Amino acid sequence: MTNINPYIQVNKLDFTYPDGTKALDDINVLIQIGEFIALIGQNGSGKTTLSKCLNGLYKPTSGEVLVESLNSKNTPIVQMVRRVGYVFQNPDHQLFNNNCWDEIAYGPRNIQLSEEEVKIRVDEAAHVVGLPEIFYEEHPFFLSKGLRQRVAIASILALRPQVIIVDEPTTGQDSRQSIEIMEFLKDLNEKHGHTIIIITHDMYIVAQYARRVILMSEGRILADGLTSDVFSQPDVLQKTFLEPPQITQLAQSAQNLGFNPGTLTVDEMVNQFDALKIK
Amino acid sequence: MSVIIELKDYSWKYLNTQQPALDKINLQIEEGMFIGIIGPNGSGKTTLAYSMNGLIPGQYNGIKNGEVVVYGREVEQYGHGQLQKIAGMVFSDPEAQFTAMTVEDELVFGLENLGMSIPEIRERLEWVTELTGLEKMLLKPPYELSGGQKQRVALAAVLAMTPKILILDEPTTMLDPVSRRRVFDVLAKLKNEQHNTIIVIEHNLENLIPLADRMILLSNNKLILEDETHQFFQNMELLTKVGIYPPGALRFFYELKKAGYTSNTLPVTLPEASKQLKQLFG
Repeated sequence: MTNINPYIQVNKLDFTYPDGTKALDDINVLIQIGEFIALIGQNGSGKTTLSKCLNGLYKPTSGEVLVESLNSKNTPIVQMVRRVGYVFQNPDHQLFNNNCWDEIAYGPRNIQLSEEEVKIRVDEAAHVVGLPEIFYEEHPFFLSKGLRQRVAIASILALRPQVIIVDEPTTGQDSRQSIEIMEFLKDLNEKHGHTIIIITHDMYIVAQYARRVILMSEGRILADGLTSDVFSQPDVLQKTFLEPPQITQLAQSAQNLGFNPGTLTVDEMVNQFDALKIK
Repeated sequence: MSVIIELKDYSWKYLNTQQPALDKINLQIEEGMFIGIIGPNGSGKTTLAYSMNGLIPGQYNGIKNGEVVVYGREVEQYGHGQLQKIAGMVFSDPEAQFTAMTVEDELVFGLENLGMSIPEIRERLEWVTELTGLEKMLLKPPYELSGGQKQRVALAAVLAMTPKILILDEPTTMLDPVSRRRVFDVLAKLKNEQHNTIIVIEHNLENLIPLADRMILLSNNKLILEDETHQFFQNMELLTKVGIYPPGALRFFYELKKAGYTSNTLPVTLPEASKQLKQLFG
């Protein structure tokens, strides 16, 4: 990380819903440009609420959220969503236009860019997500879920946010579709320089793609660190009823044979096996 | 064991589509078995599930070839709603199935429809509430529950009808890990205590494998593999080719086998894998 100043600073953030439910309790997080983070925890642990605080949809009850030094409390939402984009879990909750082009153009139009600039943004976003031009006039609901998800992501990308939060990117997808979506997010991170935050229950996806894990429980952060470090603490995960991926559990069960309890992938496991066998 | 579901050269093509959704399926399912159905999205899994409880051809237009026989009768020979009492269906989106204002009403709705007496209904309600752990939720409206609780209500409502066959179409897709575990716990209980025949379509193999007696693989609308669970997962090359990614431990041992470190049957669960790994270091 070359940036000394974090892109996002969350200081002592509390958030209470109008009905009195306390959803976030003393959250402190720093996020640098270029990170790939997984936000994990059970439903109701505060993951989505935190995401909505990061892009200014929700304002802190107390504490503060600073994005590029802008305080979310007194920055117009239009300014916030150009920096932090949030892609809904179910693309169908987000898509509402009659064709893909209008869908992707909605954000740029909403921030009152010229039609010329809107066109540039749409083409650019569609290109990045790999949506061919022949789909521009298509109604989003006639596309596959994978393509609908891409349209949803494109509509966020068109605002050119630095940070993209994707809520449950792989729910309802089969293995091949999940890997396709994750490889696409990896490209956005590595080739296009976007900071990616995924919210997911799939620990295999976390192990494979996220470099950092933030584990939430009952509105608080329970663990925050490198993925292998967080997954090496099964007791902390267990408190939130999560389990590390199966390959990590296998490594942990064979720790006395010399396997690393922070093993994340099958390849890592095979390499360790080779090395241990030679010894 | 007796065969209770049999498909003979069964094909189904939805109206206005070019390709059949299922193409010449031959399959026998024995009573009391726990069957896992896997395959990429769009491979025909849901169509197969609907075909076994009569939703197809009953509620859909299309062209059928071959036969689907359940408990000795072709599905078309059952009267309206008769087959659904024998083969209950749970969907991945439980809300689609709710009609009542409280969980209790939801659970007794079907029983009242059958004309059961109040004491009978009460007994059935208690049984199914305990089985699915919904004791504290009976008076709540279904829409106030979490996704996992909703799915257990949906399951309970179907179970209350005491179907012999239970078909679940991606029951845990929308759930978080705790809720997913609880749904599978209920399925384990049904398998071990109630001896229902259970057919589950599921992407999450880590939870499915320990329960499944047999597995079915669909790809491109054809049944391409059907076997006892251990035998089924020895076909790693085929599974990977059609886009199935088996759990990590299985893939790890497959790599070891390819590298010549072991010639054992590939372990399919974590405890089995853990044991085999220790043996390799003898």
